[in-house]
Amino acid sequence: MNFIDRLLETPLIALILKEINQILRNKQLMFLLLFPPTVQLLVFGFSLNPDVQYIKLGIIDYANTYESRELIAAFTENDLFQPKIYTYSQEELGQEVRTGKITAGLVIPPDFNRDLSQNKSAEIQVLIDGVDANTAGIANGYINQIVNQYSRSLNENKSSPLVQVQSVFLYNPGLLSTWFIIPGVIGLVLNLTSTLVSATTVVREKDSGTLEQLLMTPADAWEILLAKIVPLFVLLMGDVLLALSIARFMFKVPLRGNVILFFAFAGLYVLVGIGIGIMLATLARSQQQVILISFFINLPVIQLSGAIAPIESMPTFFQDLSWFNPLRHFVTITRGLLLKGVGIEVLWPNVLMLAIFAVVLLTISINRFRSQLS
Amino acid sequence: MSQYIIENADFRMQNPSNNLVIEVAELYKKYGKLTAVRGVNFAVQRGEIFGLIGPDGAGKTTTFHILAGVMEASAGDVWVLGKIPRNARLGIGYLTQQFSLYLDLSIDENLRYSAGLREVSNELFMQRRAKYLQLMGLEKFGDRLAGQLSGGMKQKLALCCALVSQPEILLLDEPTTGVDPVSRREFWDILATLANEGTTIVVATPYLDEAERCSRIALMYDGEIHQIGTLKELRESLGLQRLEVRTNDLQTAEKVLLRAIANSPNIADVQTFGDRLDVLVNNVATGKSQVEEIFHHHNLAINSIESEEATLENVFVTRLRQQGSDPPFVPFPKSKSSHSQSDIAIGAYDLQKIFGNFAAVKGVTLEIKYGEIYGLLGANGAGKTTTIKMLCGLLEASNGKIYLGGKTSNLRSKELRRRIGYMSQKFTLYDDLSILQNLQFYCGVYGVPRRSRKQKIDWVLETCGLAGQENLITGQLPGGWKQRVAFGASVMHEPNILFLDEPTSGVDPLARRQFWRFINEFARQGTAILVTTHYLEEAEQCNRMGFMVAGEVVIQGSPSEIKAQQPGELIELVTNSTQAASDLLKTELESWRVSIFGDRLHIVLDRPKTELPEIRSFLQNAEINVQSVRTIPFSLEDAFIGTVQRAQQKV
Repeated sequence: MNFIDRLLETPLIALILKEINQILRNKQLMFLLLFPPTVQLLVFGFSLNPDVQYIKLGIIDYANTYESRELIAAFTENDLFQPKIYTYSQEELGQEVRTGKITAGLVIPPDFNRDLSQNKSAEIQVLIDGVDANTAGIANGYINQIVNQYSRSLNENKSSPLVQVQSVFLYNPGLLSTWFIIPGVIGLVLNLTSTLVSATTVVREKDSGTLEQLLMTPADAWEILLAKIVPLFVLLMGDVLLALSIARFMFKVPLRGNVILFFAFAGLYVLVGIGIGIMLATLARSQQQVILISFFINLPVIQLSGAIAPIESMPTFFQDLSWFNPLRHFVTITRGLLLKGVGIEVLWPNVLMLAIFAVVLLTISINRFRSQLS
Repeated sequence: MSQYIIENADFRMQNPSNNLVIEVAELYKKYGKLTAVRGVNFAVQRGEIFGLIGPDGAGKTTTFHILAGVMEASAGDVWVLGKIPRNARLGIGYLTQQFSLYLDLSIDENLRYSAGLREVSNELFMQRRAKYLQLMGLEKFGDRLAGQLSGGMKQKLALCCALVSQPEILLLDEPTTGVDPVSRREFWDILATLANEGTTIVVATPYLDEAERCSRIALMYDGEIHQIGTLKELRESLGLQRLEVRTNDLQTAEKVLLRAIANSPNIADVQTFGDRLDVLVNNVATGKSQVEEIFHHHNLAINSIESEEATLENVFVTRLRQQGSDPPFVPFPKSKSSHSQSDIAIGAYDLQKIFGNFAAVKGVTLEIKYGEIYGLLGANGAGKTTTIKMLCGLLEASNGKIYLGGKTSNLRSKELRRRIGYMSQKFTLYDDLSILQNLQFYCGVYGVPRRSRKQKIDWVLETCGLAGQENLITGQLPGGWKQRVAFGASVMHEPNILFLDEPTSGVDPLARRQFWRFINEFARQGTAILVTTHYLEEAEQCNRMGFMVAGEVVIQGSPSEIKAQQPGELIELVTNSTQAASDLLKTELESWRVSIFGDRLHIVLDRPKTELPEIRSFLQNAEINVQSVRTIPFSLEDAFIGTVQRAQQKV
């Protein structure tokens, strides 16, 4: 009883209560915590879709025979290609590609049938708009697949290929790309929210000049900071729950791993975010400044994290650099836990890196904050 | 009804000879349940300086907002220059309570921006810039950043910005709050010049000696104007004469005289004012003998007793006391035993602070004992706040030794901070929390025992007159009220060392008296108090004080010692035109020797025998009628102006 009384009289409790009261009155903060994460998850989840479908295809069929029509049907009877125009003018086709009305063009020459019947290999021409290299590559792959399958169907009676590939997709059998994107976006959202929210609340105290008064009270610098961190941490863990619920119920992302472990690691990442936020707050003099600086930091952090674009497709230098990006580790952990259902035995290098980041960032930012005070 | 108003408006616009530039009829303003202004009527003529005075929360700022057209009235008619305020904006210059300058722009850039907003042509801008910067004495600093100016200079620049479009009307909401006495006088001299040129000025101020320079004054409280008139009319309506009583023991004298009010109807009120007592009486002769009798009865010595006309402050305080809005004095609920040693609590020895190549504080030495009130006074930018910050450990000194509460090093220790109270110049409360939450927070963070918290918080609420309103958001309180709550918050933990940096800035006269009763009470209980203020008459209550000029303490001592050290003699001059006489005399004498106090002039003369007749004839030649001339003792404010100006001339 006596102990509890004494605990309740410490500056720390008063500071925490004050922070909670301020947060409860701060509608802007509540908005920041709820609205942007929800919108970001929904928008990114639905729109960031790397699959290529409905490629607009222009067709010139000079042969105009049963075989050539069979080939065209092979292209158009799935959702991959969408026939846009039929024409006999190669020039017109070129024009359509240039203006972007079609992405790919297919030209079947007049001697297509003759070559086939003479058992020579027939040639067809394919034009692809290479500006969007990603789409072009995928379209090229599809076209090759379709043509290969078509030619195999022509000489079915002859020998079948010696090696045949049987692919099995693990963890994401439907190859749903949202499953890949959502864990990344969870990391992105947590990163943005935690740095921004903690930076603005710490800077606000500086802004309004009450910090000086606070420094004259018996409260220590660590108490002032801890009182700021604890309520923020709780609120941001609420954000983690929110993000996870959207992932689970809106996007049906599976939860294969240990949920408690996920929350523990997310907590670690929230600490990293708060550390970055406080550090930014020590660099800036006003809320406006801190928001601008945080954008400058957050954009590269997100780009180099693999949250949206895969790390494997980056140049080696950036792949190595991304090891020093805490978000990369958190995204890897999230994907591992949610999609693969693996545990600490696989993820420990990433967890270790996160822990190091949390300790280093918090130490630096607390020290900077404290030295600014005196 | 609306037909009538429109016709009326046309009539006004077609009638430029109509000299009323502002007309307000039955003005109401409601914020939710709270009625801030209830049925205000007044009219202001061209070229008038119209003063709006009243306690904190009287509705002055709201009235200004409505006159300036930035806020809609809930009901009532307001005509400014014959138009509704929003449409008259180009003719209005408005100085709000907050600094309205861009601190990261230079003086010239600030001016050019204001001119650009109001579409002033370049040619006119250059003319006016030169004229007004010269008038304000800012012409040398054109490219200095506004953020680097002292408080007084900032306000002058803000006035310049408002003037650059040459508005017909100036609305000034407490323009001199936080400005030192010297700059304040200069500011009002400028206002007088502007009014002479035909600018109409409406001004609110908590300094009542300034308000005496208005052509007409409106007393406002509780959202209503209770009286409007010239200074003379207000005095006459009071119907009381003032006896200036000087004695060595002010406190006892005030106590016995206040007790005497009950059984002698002739004595109406007793007010301490600086180093004297103002006794308000119906009849001078009987009053005099009554006071002498009472003093004699209690074995008190009278140094002097003189009869005078009542001041505006007398009128204000009496009227407010009649309204019952005198803030109550509730003794502080003490729980610690008092510190009765006469040890040194705060000591500074050759203290210096250098920022880059600018020495803000150069070699300050002072000692303050427990139970002592020490006043650190000085112009804006003299280094007072920097000194305080070094003394309480917020800022590291570049050089010198500090002794604080028995320690010479580790001034930031937890144990020491628990014994220190600090109220900084800026508002130190959380605007987004309620009053109660703020007080609870400061109780908690200082470790006030939980059982005595409620008592302490109740004390603050009661002394501030906020009992029952503790759940108001602090940000909504008027400035003066916030100061009172902030003071309460900084003493709840019963510190035995207290730093107060301009605690009474912007606080109304009655609340200021209450503030000082508490300061005295804390000192009696053994607290060492370091206080800064721009109100020199309240500084009389300090035991000792130092005047700072440009980072140095130029004179130190008790108020009477400081006054005794003033060279020359102080002459009080009453004329029929104070402003004209002042302007004229400043051409003849060094300008610091002439200063306006309310409706009279104070002149410092080194050889009055030969100089005085010259001045008399000089004024007579200019057809200024001298009504009375007498030698008076130096007040602290005279001493301050003299000391600061002479020290500045040396620099």
